[in-house]
Amino acid sequence: MEWKWVANSTWEIEPHDGMLVPGRIYASTALFEKAMSDRASQQVINVAHFPGIVEASMAMPDIHWGYGFPIGGVAATDIADGGVVSPGGVGFDICCGVRLIGSSFQLTDWEARRDQIMAELDRRIPRGLGKGAIAGRALLSDVLERGAAAAVAAGLGGPADLERCEELGTSSGADPGAISDKALRRGGTQLGSLGAGNHFLEVQLVDRVFDPKAATAFGLAEGMICVMIHCGSRGLGHQTCTDQLQVMGPAMARYQITVPDRQLACVPVDSTEGRRYLGAMGAAANFAWANRHILAHETRLAFSRAFQISRERTGMHPIYDVAHNLAKIEAHEVAGSIRNLCVHRKGATRAFGPGHPDLPRDLAEVGQPVLVPGSMGTASWVLRGTERNPAFSSAAHGAGRVMSRKGAKKHQTGASVQEELESSGIAVRPGSVALLSEEAPYAYKDVDEVVDACEAANLGEKVARLVPLGVVKG
Amino acid sequence: MRYEVISHTADTGIIAYGVTPEELFENTAWGMFDLMFDLAQLAPAHDVPVMATGDGVEDLLVNWLSELLFHAETLDLALCYFTIDRLEEGGVQGSAGGVPVDDVVLRGPPIKAVTYHELSVTENPDGWWARLIFDV
Repeated sequence: MEWKWVANSTWEIEPHDGMLVPGRIYASTALFEKAMSDRASQQVINVAHFPGIVEASMAMPDIHWGYGFPIGGVAATDIADGGVVSPGGVGFDICCGVRLIGSSFQLTDWEARRDQIMAELDRRIPRGLGKGAIAGRALLSDVLERGAAAAVAAGLGGPADLERCEELGTSSGADPGAISDKALRRGGTQLGSLGAGNHFLEVQLVDRVFDPKAATAFGLAEGMICVMIHCGSRGLGHQTCTDQLQVMGPAMARYQITVPDRQLACVPVDSTEGRRYLGAMGAAANFAWANRHILAHETRLAFSRAFQISRERTGMHPIYDVAHNLAKIEAHEVAGSIRNLCVHRKGATRAFGPGHPDLPRDLAEVGQPVLVPGSMGTASWVLRGTERNPAFSSAAHGAGRVMSRKGAKKHQTGASVQEELESSGIAVRPGSVALLSEEAPYAYKDVDEVVDACEAANLGEKVARLVPLGVVKG
Repeated sequence: MRYEVISHTADTGIIAYGVTPEELFENTAWGMFDLMFDLAQLAPAHDVPVMATGDGVEDLLVNWLSELLFHAETLDLALCYFTIDRLEEGGVQGSAGGVPVDDVVLRGPPIKAVTYHELSVTENPDGWWARLIFDV
């Protein structure tokens, strides 16, 4: 059985050898060929074995080899038809995502205070190995219960920040009681920290606006200085997924479920284990939303301090906050009827189109902001959700890796990557210089190509392109 | 050789070796932390007992490594010394030693978790080997 081109930027493989639905990859020819260079396409096929899966096992244009699910994977299961939930379809970094903040600053402001801004961010944004939590453990139980709203109640940021956050920054199905003591101990002191790996905080400039109406509604304008934050649920989420996988593996036998890869362990959504996982996942998601919220608050303080002005005068306002590692219960049309689905997005962003009831009122006409960060040193994009999105309202979550970490390390040293970025005018404050080589631009696909493929497949439409000015890395 | 690095697009992994299952468990632990820190340069200053349970050698190995990640992160240690005292069906008991993470430099991204993806533990005439993929 072979993959075939079936429509604009859409490739499919028919069900075979136990697959319940086709596999489908949204990609240009060039991106599809890259997807075929590792085991990502086999992972799309593996996910098509999930009990209750509907339509297709899908992958976004930034698809690459992950563990269990491909990165960029989207799979929806029909809950009433025995549909399953899989921790592997969410990943260890539960609710990893991106937050974008706009400001009243222009390029000239950045140029005048660049060193002060970077010094303040360097000082205020904890990163690397589990250290330097801003908020401490006092907030933890409230955060697990109500996410970013708990941080607002503690005086960090304001209510307006919540309105521009997926699910208003609070997971409706959170069950803090399902979080283990080990997860509390592991992540409890990490609230308000970036982590490491591909996580970052980036100062960016809106380089070009493609859709002025949507950009205005989002709060973006050409020439605006923005800040993008990419991080997740830290050790609390990692431990929660570890705990749940230990339960789910043995539970599968009771439900007579078999899957081609142990990392795809799953149970029916409507089961004791399924409900407990979703409750734990929701509480960990709340941690992630609060985490990005607190880092956004610290960013405001950093700019306020660098410019010696009040926080209000920075004009720093939320554009949006999206998760790209989450399973959500959503209603979608399948074969002509509305079904209640468990939609897994593993390295994929939710992308609701205009008129969706879950959008903030002021975005109802234009659709949800979709944040697609590029690799370090390259552009990032803001798209908008479209009507008739063919992938359960999902879009790409980034550029997507194309080179292994081992390969990237051999290519160039971290110090020379830093030197290149600095010489091209991008300020870099790494937690570890050595790690920069693994995250260098050459290790990733061209994000512009990924975004073009999203547009061609109607996964999202371009609103604005942002270019990096300063990078704070873990 | 204790371990080799596997090329993986998004994450990272190792193939670890051991003459005995005990040595395999010690060497997988070494390999996992050596991806993050240059362990050859470190001498352990703090010890921690580590225990794990699991059905079958694969689960036991994943759970042993997951326990090590938990202890390292909660104690803020770069673990660099590993001993297995007892390895039997259903359980493993040992200890690990490390140095405060503030005293060392990361050379690889922190490992978030041990995955079951393409996991295998095999015995051959030369001893034991295990293949593991880590989420970073």
